[in-house]
Amino acid sequence: MTDVIATSLADVKDAVESAIAAGHRLEVRGTGSKSNLGRECNADAALDVSKMAGIVDYQPEELVMTLRAGTPMDEVEAALADARQMLAFEPPRMGRISGGPRSELQGTIGGIVAANLSGPRRLTAGATRDYLLGFEAISGRGELFKSGGRVMKNVTGYDLSKLMCGSFGTLAVMDEITLKTLPAPETSQSLLVACADFAAATKTIAQIFATPHEPGAAAILPQSIAAEEAVDTGGAFTAIIRLEGIEASVYDRIANLQAMTGGETIAKPASETLWQRIRDVQPLAEKPHDLWKVSCAPSDAPRLVESLDSAMGVRFMADWAGGLLWFGASRSRDLGNRLRAVVAELDSGFAMLVRDVAVTRDEIAPFQPLPAPLFELHKRVKASFDPRGVLNYGRMHSGI
Amino acid sequence: MLMPEPDQQVIDRRDDICRALRKLVPAACVVDSTESMRAFDADGLSAYRQLPLAVVLPETVDQIAAVMKWCHQNEIKLVPRGAGTSLSGGALPLADAVLLGLGKFNRIHEIDYDNRCVVAQPGVTNLAITHAVQADGFYYAPDPSSQIACSVGGNVAENSGGVHCLKYGLTTNNLLGVEIVTMEGEILRFGGKHLDAGDYDLMGIMTGSEGLLGVVSEVTLRILQKPATARALLVGFDDTDSAGTAVGDVIAAGIIPAGMEMMDGLAINAAEDFANAGYPREAAALLIIELDGPEVEVDALIERVEAILRTAGASSVRVSQSEEERNLFWAGRKSAFPAVGRISPDYLCMDGTIPRRRLPDMMRRMASLSQQYGLRVANVFHAGDGNLHPLILFDANIPGELERAEDFGADILKSCVEMGGVLTGEHGVGVEKRDLMTIQFTEDDLKQQQRLKCAFDPGHLLNPGKVFPHLHRCAELGRLHVHKGKMPHPDLPRF
Repeated sequence: MTDVIATSLADVKDAVESAIAAGHRLEVRGTGSKSNLGRECNADAALDVSKMAGIVDYQPEELVMTLRAGTPMDEVEAALADARQMLAFEPPRMGRISGGPRSELQGTIGGIVAANLSGPRRLTAGATRDYLLGFEAISGRGELFKSGGRVMKNVTGYDLSKLMCGSFGTLAVMDEITLKTLPAPETSQSLLVACADFAAATKTIAQIFATPHEPGAAAILPQSIAAEEAVDTGGAFTAIIRLEGIEASVYDRIANLQAMTGGETIAKPASETLWQRIRDVQPLAEKPHDLWKVSCAPSDAPRLVESLDSAMGVRFMADWAGGLLWFGASRSRDLGNRLRAVVAELDSGFAMLVRDVAVTRDEIAPFQPLPAPLFELHKRVKASFDPRGVLNYGRMHSGI
Repeated sequence: MLMPEPDQQVIDRRDDICRALRKLVPAACVVDSTESMRAFDADGLSAYRQLPLAVVLPETVDQIAAVMKWCHQNEIKLVPRGAGTSLSGGALPLADAVLLGLGKFNRIHEIDYDNRCVVAQPGVTNLAITHAVQADGFYYAPDPSSQIACSVGGNVAENSGGVHCLKYGLTTNNLLGVEIVTMEGEILRFGGKHLDAGDYDLMGIMTGSEGLLGVVSEVTLRILQKPATARALLVGFDDTDSAGTAVGDVIAAGIIPAGMEMMDGLAINAAEDFANAGYPREAAALLIIELDGPEVEVDALIERVEAILRTAGASSVRVSQSEEERNLFWAGRKSAFPAVGRISPDYLCMDGTIPRRRLPDMMRRMASLSQQYGLRVANVFHAGDGNLHPLILFDANIPGELERAEDFGADILKSCVEMGGVLTGEHGVGVEKRDLMTIQFTEDDLKQQQRLKCAFDPGHLLNPGKVFPHLHRCAELGRLHVHKGKMPHPDLPRF
């Protein structure tokens, strides 16, 4: 059995129909930058969509861009930069998060959408799922369908775009992806505030978000990492707040915040480099560690951080005002179990194994196991698109 | 509008059904007299009226679950209803369905400033969320024009927008979590105070599902810090083409205003007669552009926008110098619907979206359709995002005029789709645009959507007759087309 290289949705349709007929399973892939994310599919063949590439239509003044699923991220970002626009959800480079041989893989827009990956601006601007306006796809039934459109405001029919984001290719193979774009900010600066402990850092950030000074992103680094990144403020933790906009506004707002919290500021290019490294989790990813991400209510973040033993040898950092926690450890099964236990107590959020250096994903499920009624509904949703389990079967959860 | 044939056997069992429901909720929570049910016989699409089988007004989430479970077990259809302000008939009752009213769920559970969210029951009004947090400088961004009355649960069901969604998004972009009750009576939570779903984004799919997938029993909404200031520009143009181009020029300059509204000549004059907002009566098109944010920023951007508009050929530009003046600029726009109501006995309000650059084409198309149907049309647009609200003027007392107006409206929506747009930008499909769905979607597109419906509600008991023009049985939709194990092109090498 050989792999399929698709150049169009017609090819995808053929491949899926053939797989259905033969009782085979397919693993959908682009450049492979995220192949370490999720469970092993144990598919019979790969369905490579990286040749379905290119920008189909881009109208900057309409704020919409339509792309083929396999379009490489460098190409997407270059086109946006030419028009001084951006994908506001600040997609990270999963290759850099994955590290090792994958570091140089830039990934594709289809992969970003399938994994619903968003960066620091997600806190205020929303996630990939907030910017996917529409798509075409072949379902696991081998049927072509579309949803959404190429306009910003649309409530016609179910919003299947939301479902596609973060479905890890388990429902359908997308193409003709239409995203909302936004003007890139003219400038940005960051404020660095020294904090005595992690909880104090989340409080400082909450105070800043209770002002009308429009903070756009907020991360927290422990002193060891802050020192490595050359932003050590002397505090046990450093809260980093990014402000964006037109120059006069950014200067004015950062001065107002500084008067309130103290701290120092950094400007471009240091600020930009720092946030790119935070986006791609570089302070942790550069070590040979497993990586876990926890999505939680920002005010719950201190409890998760405090639950760690120093014996676990864990390095961590926070983004999204504490709502996104990254943990790195060399053997991480115990860490994963600990994080999942705390998340369960909090009854909100999830812990996901994002990078696996030590074959941990054979020992612990990368996706947080679902409670029975939700698992049942996930199975039914999966079956409504892919009843035979042809597409990325088991990538997220066993049986889905 | 053809609704599913009511099941006479169910209607015949009405007394038994009400008796059974009274065992699940306090007796007074079941309303079954014709007189009392009149209050529930229509929503905002008031041309369509229908008395429900019975009305149930539960008081707890467990009661909602009990009612739904019982209806599921007894195969009784159910229509959920929030405040009943839907403009597309989403809450239109059915003669053989129980109407589930969420009006008693009017409490805010929690205001959480650390996580910048509010947890509320579904019957709380949209504006009440802002009222609850405004003293502390926060607000809830989505602002549908019915915000004083519409409920947040209904906002989730319809994915409601408003004039500020160009910058702040629709309900779906401001929702963190929902608790829902499925037709089978299961209480489920999607999302919460954390940001990402982690698994399938079932909250995203619930949002805008028009009450077909589940009943929203609690919402967690993101609140934002109120912008430091807001200023507006009132801009006249001699022709609509230039006004449309100007809107694109502002965005191309990297500026996303909080709101960008456009009105045509007929709407301008109707609004001015009504509100005396100082609108330029001679203008063919009027733009209201609002910028909000830090004062320094707004002042700087107002200057930039003013320059762009003058270059684009504006015939008049006024910049609000006070909060009072800004509100006056909006007063005309906000009264546009009642104002048009004064110049015509009846009107139909349409709601399509087009790619913004097609605005001039759309204006010409509407002018020619207006001539063809012999009916006037006044235009109000959310110009920033291409969402049109043409108001078709007619007189229901003149035989055939309502039908002509409806045909005119359908032609406008068909044109929207032809120009690369969609049938509805914010009002929803409901019953109103149900039969037009095949214009925008293929049979396979609609089948896939209905299969998702089957995953949530295999018996098609929840809000049937809405959104989809044809009801397919789930078993029929579930069939997978396999040619007896044969591959489509057996001669081609595979795998």
